[in-house]
Amino acid sequence: MEYFYSYLILASIFVVLGLATNLLVGIAGIFSVSQAAIFGVGAYVTAYCLVNEVMGFLPAVACAAGACLLLNIVITLPALRVAGDYFVVTSFGIQLLATAAFLNWNGATGGASGMAAIPPADLFGYAIEDTGSMLLLCVAAMLLCCLAFYLAMNSPYGRLLRAIREDELAVAASGKPVIPAKAAAAALAGVFGGVAGSLYATFLSFIDPSSFDLNASVLLLSMVVVGGARTLAGSIIGPFVLLALPQVLTMVEIPSTMAAGVRQGLYGALLIAFMLFRPQGLAGQKL
Amino acid sequence: MTVPFLQVSGLNKNFGGLQALRDCSFAIEKGRITCLVGPNGAGKTTVFNAITGFLRPESGSVQFQGRSLDRLPPRAIVRSGIARSFQNLRLYADMTVLENVTSALPGQFGEQPLSAIFRPFRTARAMRQANEQAAGILEHVGLGDQARVWTRNLSYGEQKLLCIARLLATGADLLLLDEPTSGLSGEALDRVMALLRRLQAEGKSQLVVEHNTRVVMAIADEVVFLHGGHVLAQGSPAEITADPALAEIYFGGAL
Repeated sequence: MEYFYSYLILASIFVVLGLATNLLVGIAGIFSVSQAAIFGVGAYVTAYCLVNEVMGFLPAVACAAGACLLLNIVITLPALRVAGDYFVVTSFGIQLLATAAFLNWNGATGGASGMAAIPPADLFGYAIEDTGSMLLLCVAAMLLCCLAFYLAMNSPYGRLLRAIREDELAVAASGKPVIPAKAAAAALAGVFGGVAGSLYATFLSFIDPSSFDLNASVLLLSMVVVGGARTLAGSIIGPFVLLALPQVLTMVEIPSTMAAGVRQGLYGALLIAFMLFRPQGLAGQKL
Repeated sequence: MTVPFLQVSGLNKNFGGLQALRDCSFAIEKGRITCLVGPNGAGKTTVFNAITGFLRPESGSVQFQGRSLDRLPPRAIVRSGIARSFQNLRLYADMTVLENVTSALPGQFGEQPLSAIFRPFRTARAMRQANEQAAGILEHVGLGDQARVWTRNLSYGEQKLLCIARLLATGADLLLLDEPTSGLSGEALDRVMALLRRLQAEGKSQLVVEHNTRVVMAIADEVVFLHGGHVLAQGSPAEITADPALAEIYFGGAL
């Protein structure tokens, strides 16, 4: 049961990250491969605040969300001016830069050995130590983020973002703000990333750079592709399916030394298969 | 002397070695349909880009209703009352016909994420109003029964009408139409021409890039003849077509 709870908690956290990725990549058409870096900043800020007893859990979440909001606008700046392929390369570089910072800024991040003994989350003086309460907190956070995503996307703002993805010049010719709308998408995605990072750090009580590297960014993109781009349902289904996959694989008889390689290979095959045969994912639209 | 509705004065623009606009000056009057004609490469679209802020001329000035538009971004120019269409339409193909129009309605509540998330009911109300308003505009251009259709499924003629609907949604008083009838014939062409005249009757001034002489004769009150980025002549359609030198440039090519 404990194990199943952990799966649900991680899946809820990744749904929040999936929303951020879907918002930028799927809806606004800003192809960012550095969302794991933002997730990492959220986790490290929270961990730093809690381990050093700078502040409590909720203020730490607010700090993490605020830091990620600002940082995501800054790293998305190149995409505010130039759309398209060049940004992927820029964003790739930012991801590598972030990993280097997580690995080498020993004073703040603990370097390669990471940060351990992160205190559990607490709400209004009530520490959330058992897995069941943490599950409730994560599901509640996920639902709030899903609601925010739904409201924003089914509004004139969501329509504006879709129009920007289709034809920026036409949006400008209609007298609409292009750059502020894109910056706002980056900000909202940053808040989601920060909240997810806070929950992740307090749930695992240990974080290290490997959770926030390029592989993690690719995993996030895979979740959006498999679940389905541009839809709320897709952002929810993708993480639940992809995080269940390793568990399913453990039921297949393969030597443990091969398991990691087989999993990686299967992820790759799955991505290619989806792109070829079902580009809209399980419940989304074609990218 | 009264101030002209739109005054374009002495625009110059170079692209590398090519002088796209050369001391380009003309004025248009309120309530009229002015056709901008000239051979290919005369600079017609460049004039549109310069007026609407998509291109910054090296020198010269544009005044709209007595106010300077120089150095304003496209967004501010639309708000001041000038909207333009594109030769290659630039519709949002993966959005519905209605959404193409609602997207251009000015000043909607819920266009920023914070108001959309924290004032959901007010946002929903604003969206309903926008949808009604857009449906009315679609009705007006003759696409009333296509509102829920995906834009990519429209015929070419219908897409041309939708471009005009999107311009109307901005609320602009002066419409700059870049080849609104190109590629159309028969009934589709007649529909667009009738619509332009109807909009004129409703007070919309228009500057229209047009290649079809028959269309120019039918809709234009005034013709501006552009060649090599310079206005060679301005006058009534009859005056312009009667000038053999202009006909020679237009059909013969070389000056």
